[in-house]
Amino acid sequence: MVDVAVIGAGQTKYGNHALGLKGMWAEAAERAFSSIDGDFSPSQVDEAFIGSIAFGGAQLGNTAALLTEHSAMDGVPVRRVENACASSGFAFRDAWMAIKSGEADIVVAGGIEKMNDLTPERKRYWLGVSGDTEWERLAGLTFPGTYALMARRHFHEYGSTHDDLVNISVKNHLHGSMNKLAHIQKEVSFEKASNGFMVADPLTLYDCCPTSDGASCVILAADHVVREFTDSPVWVRGSGAASDHLALHDRPSITQLRATAASSKRAYHQAGITSNDVDFAEVHDCFTIAELMATEDLGFAERGAGGQFARNEEGLLNQGSVTINPSGGLKSKGHPLGSTGTGQVVEVFKQLRSEVESNRQVRDASIGLTHNVGGSGATCAVHVFGRDRN
Amino acid sequence: MSSLIWKGYLLHAEPSFTLVQSPFTHRGERVFGADSDATTLAVAAVQHRISEQSITMVTVPEGIDTQTLISSTSITVADESTFDNCEWDLLLSDEATVVLMQRGTEVALPQFDVDIPVNSKFYAAIEGAWVEEMQITNVSQGAYVSVAQYEEAAASRLGLVGQKVPGGMTWPPRQMDGEERANAEDTPLVHIGSVQSWTRLSAAGAPSEFSIRAPLLGGISTVLLRLKDGPSGVFLVVDDEEPVLSMELEMELVVRRIYAQEGIIRYGLKARAI
Repeated sequence: MVDVAVIGAGQTKYGNHALGLKGMWAEAAERAFSSIDGDFSPSQVDEAFIGSIAFGGAQLGNTAALLTEHSAMDGVPVRRVENACASSGFAFRDAWMAIKSGEADIVVAGGIEKMNDLTPERKRYWLGVSGDTEWERLAGLTFPGTYALMARRHFHEYGSTHDDLVNISVKNHLHGSMNKLAHIQKEVSFEKASNGFMVADPLTLYDCCPTSDGASCVILAADHVVREFTDSPVWVRGSGAASDHLALHDRPSITQLRATAASSKRAYHQAGITSNDVDFAEVHDCFTIAELMATEDLGFAERGAGGQFARNEEGLLNQGSVTINPSGGLKSKGHPLGSTGTGQVVEVFKQLRSEVESNRQVRDASIGLTHNVGGSGATCAVHVFGRDRN
Repeated sequence: MSSLIWKGYLLHAEPSFTLVQSPFTHRGERVFGADSDATTLAVAAVQHRISEQSITMVTVPEGIDTQTLISSTSITVADESTFDNCEWDLLLSDEATVVLMQRGTEVALPQFDVDIPVNSKFYAAIEGAWVEEMQITNVSQGAYVSVAQYEEAAASRLGLVGQKVPGGMTWPPRQMDGEERANAEDTPLVHIGSVQSWTRLSAAGAPSEFSIRAPLLGGISTVLLRLKDGPSGVFLVVDDEEPVLSMELEMELVVRRIYAQEGIIRYGLKARAI
């Protein structure tokens, strides 16, 4: 079966972006196109998948076609992919499958979200839109609350503490401070992160990702055309995805995301590696507790040992066993919902080609991983990438 | 019979009547708590009477949400054709009091010695907030529970009706169980569970349905309960009490107002410490 590689990737800076949907997408697409080493024309794209939850609420229907129209991909078959915060992780998987199927040679996967063009009251639009609304919303839950329930339970079952979460926040802010595309390019002290405004007890402001605008775009190619465009492709070594109960209360455990565990197992198997082989991972840390649990579910730490992993700074850039979120993660790089999944791929693409800022380059990186979660864990896509094809 | 605290209310029961009253007072008068009203008191009265004896039908005055009463208790509400033969009547009093009485009997109102004064400013703010929420134009931003969706699940939400399925009990109900369409027997679950986790959301982190009242309440609390019958669920904690939450704390589920929008109050089960 055909192998697939990423030949180009680009994104906007995350944060409060001056441009609207069309402008942001065009910026990300142009950066992706121009990152391709050889000659490339957008007209060569066979298929496109764009992830978003609500496109800022500005254009609810047929937005994907609007975006390709504004990025020189007129006429390309395109559709929106929606799986909450994992929308573009799944858009990427769909693009990968389109090539795997043999129907397409060059495919675009991307994502976009415009979140900051709303008034403060209308910004609540984004709160809790992807849970089991009928039950969780009537129980007053938004995602800060849902993840707070997970955190308190993890503390109770495994003895992890809020200090462990603070360590994750401090680490990701440090990484993000070196990333020119990050929403929050600022370090935060342990003391400050410990004493943040309480959003959903026990999670404070420093445990929560910001509300970001952003777009990201990735170009995938089949093995038989890759060399037309680059000598430094980033190969997609494995793709795994899974789903779980939408509502937290329907799951047998709330201290692990089963969809993550299942997705990573499939992705590792396909790549022929174990978690020990991963040099760095872009992990879905919408809340710090999400990163703590992900380190367990992805196999970087034993079940229940995620707190200790964070305490020992195992995920710190070039210090521990595996660098976690060298981009700053959702916590610092930002979380424009639909853009996050392919935004993670942009980071992996650049890391594996040694194209990020030198002070945050993962040393000797040859295998990277992306982990993109929808909502509180109902959907998950994990991808493994390598410098080498096998 | 007896006087006791029942579902967070004061209750006095005699063979011929059940009286339920709010424990809160304002300027010497009984008033409803922050998320209580005549409907929630009526539900408590019927639930208690049903727990003591078999009654199947009541008459209901204006001011009580009939559908909520039915969904919460499975009682039949008398209509024009059955009104004359109905043996039990629900009555409202001005002072946050509901009486369920056998027709033709007299009720001697007891005096409870429980009296929880409510801060005047808070009381006025909460009352005003409910009026504001009830405006027909008040609709939440973003995700939204429609009236149809709310009503479809009313029995399981208000009556805690679960399903017997192979291997145990499930709640909320599912459309399919395993490979088959779920046609499992509906089974009301015990309204008691233990805390598996909890959080208190700041007003800023609460869904927009709560944006008017959450700031007044200083946020809202949610618990994940493992119900005695097995399933788990998430529930708001009652607004008019402030329990100290802890793991394995036993809580009961009581009917309270959740929020209002489009001129309709959404009722649901909330948790209170036993």
